[in-house]
Amino acid sequence: MDIDDLETGEFRLTCPGETITSAHDFMRGHGTYVDDELVIASVAGTVQRVNKLVTVRAARSRYNAEVGDLVVGRITEVQPRRWKVDANSRQDAVLMLSSVNLPGGVQRRKLESDELQMRTFFEEGDLLVAEVQAFFADGAMSLHTRSLKFGKLRNGQLVIVPPVLVRRLKSHFIALPCGVDLILGLNGYIWVCKHMQDSDQGEEGFDAEAVYSNQNDEVDGPTRIAISRVSSIIRVLADHFVPLTDTLFLEAYNWLIEQEVNTKDLILGDFGDAMVAAICTVR
Amino acid sequence: MTTALSKVEIAYIRSSLLSAPPLRADGRSPEDFRPIAVETGIAPLANGSARVSIGKPHTSREKEAEGAGGGTEVVAAVKLEVDGVGEDKEGGKVVCNVSCSPAAYPHLSSPALDDLQSDLTSVLGSVLSHPSLYPKNLVIVPGQKAWALRLDTIIFADAGNVLDCLMMACRAALVDTRVPSTRSVEYRAPGKRNEVPDDTMDVDEGRNGPSSLLETREPSGVVDFELADYWDEGGVLEARDSWPVCVTLNMLPTMHFLDATSQEESAIPLRLHVLFAFPGGKPTLHGMRMAGAGTSDLSQIRVLLKNAEKYARNMWTGLEAKLAEEEARRSIKAREKFYGRRRR
Repeated sequence: MDIDDLETGEFRLTCPGETITSAHDFMRGHGTYVDDELVIASVAGTVQRVNKLVTVRAARSRYNAEVGDLVVGRITEVQPRRWKVDANSRQDAVLMLSSVNLPGGVQRRKLESDELQMRTFFEEGDLLVAEVQAFFADGAMSLHTRSLKFGKLRNGQLVIVPPVLVRRLKSHFIALPCGVDLILGLNGYIWVCKHMQDSDQGEEGFDAEAVYSNQNDEVDGPTRIAISRVSSIIRVLADHFVPLTDTLFLEAYNWLIEQEVNTKDLILGDFGDAMVAAICTVR
Repeated sequence: MTTALSKVEIAYIRSSLLSAPPLRADGRSPEDFRPIAVETGIAPLANGSARVSIGKPHTSREKEAEGAGGGTEVVAAVKLEVDGVGEDKEGGKVVCNVSCSPAAYPHLSSPALDDLQSDLTSVLGSVLSHPSLYPKNLVIVPGQKAWALRLDTIIFADAGNVLDCLMMACRAALVDTRVPSTRSVEYRAPGKRNEVPDDTMDVDEGRNGPSSLLETREPSGVVDFELADYWDEGGVLEARDSWPVCVTLNMLPTMHFLDATSQEESAIPLRLHVLFAFPGGKPTLHGMRMAGAGTSDLSQIRVLLKNAEKYARNMWTGLEAKLAEEEARRSIKAREKFYGRRRR
């Protein structure tokens, strides 16, 4: 059974201790070990095969970064010429001072004065959205925020889900029609905030005041309710281990409006089950 | 206990709470609790145990939701140990201990974790080890031996409101506790047998201490004890309806709310922990503690206490109902176990 299953290329789930295949024909990769000439899974997850290498990708693990991923992270430390960022990975990510946009144009040199006022850009606890730029030799990832899409996060709240639930999408910046923006970090951190107007500013004239501001804009009541509703939807979907996509949020939100469910009942009552059942059958 | 939040997150949470109908991140109203799950008798080797979780999405899917849904989870267990008695005391003691699983606080260093543990232990100890709550039936042999009640609690996950959860778990575990019934044993030298014409040659019976007149006159005669019945689980602790529950009022000037999530906890300046018990429906205040950097004035506290009593009474009634249900289930479980064992 083993080899045939692997050949078909279908996803196969394993549990720890389950025999995957013979060690004669295949090489063991991550998430497996060899015992008695058999390759055995050491984690629960999906089996993947690349030529003769068999690996098991764990269903529940920390975030495994890839270059180009969009992540949401939280500053944990300010160090010389760099910030340490918690991005739900095995190690803290690094954001170099040279890979952020600084006030006064992109192409200018980093000055000593910039180093001295790093905390005016990001300080401990701040949330930011960034892209994975590269990896260091020790496996830590290096981030960059060199685009106006990236930077400090405001006007909303953070929801944390298991990283495997966040699929790679065409765009991870989702604007829902209810006036709520979502930033789906591939590391499982999701930022839910008020819809931001697309700014027409070019790279040259970027407004450092706005990008590094520590002040929220005015968020009105209906928007706050919508934000908390969307956050609850994400939590309920994550509790039911449903992979998140943009269409799913929309269906779930419309379902809630149709059924006139209070956000509170989603958490306290049985509406969560009903919602997941409803939107998963629609799919 | 606190997650680091950015300034904007704190500002967002605060302004939501202070808006005209107060709004919370998950849509609850200020007085709403997340779902609470209580289960007793979970540790077979303990004399009493309980697991309490707040905010786990579904108890049936508890394992599946781990890490995803979060929620606070605490396990409490009571173990009775035989302990000697000092000269002046009547013996027996209640010792509390709180351990925090490092998995619950991944961001804390181990010294910080130790600090947190000892903080919580001191809160628990000062309330539950208080002489007024001391159960009388912990004495085995008066003046000589007594049960030392060790209450150990572990925090497996912390998603806010850990003290309320902790106190509920302690109360559930203490209510679940059974004290083995014992009888005293007396040894007499064989030579003296003729001098004392007693039917019970070397064993004198008496629940939880000597009862016959002979022994009260000679208290030094009783030196040891034995279990009255291996099958019998024993009796409940005395004073079981005076173990308190805790209600935490999270205060932001001009409003307060209950059952904060860990994000909300780190966004508010002041917390008031109030411990109430309602033995026979009469409210008794067992402790009060303020935590946080903020300040409050006395007139405000008076109003808050009134409210806290109301919330605590709700929590108390709910917990009592659940514990009564668990107790009914317990006797059925015990009966099944007994018959099952006898058949073998």
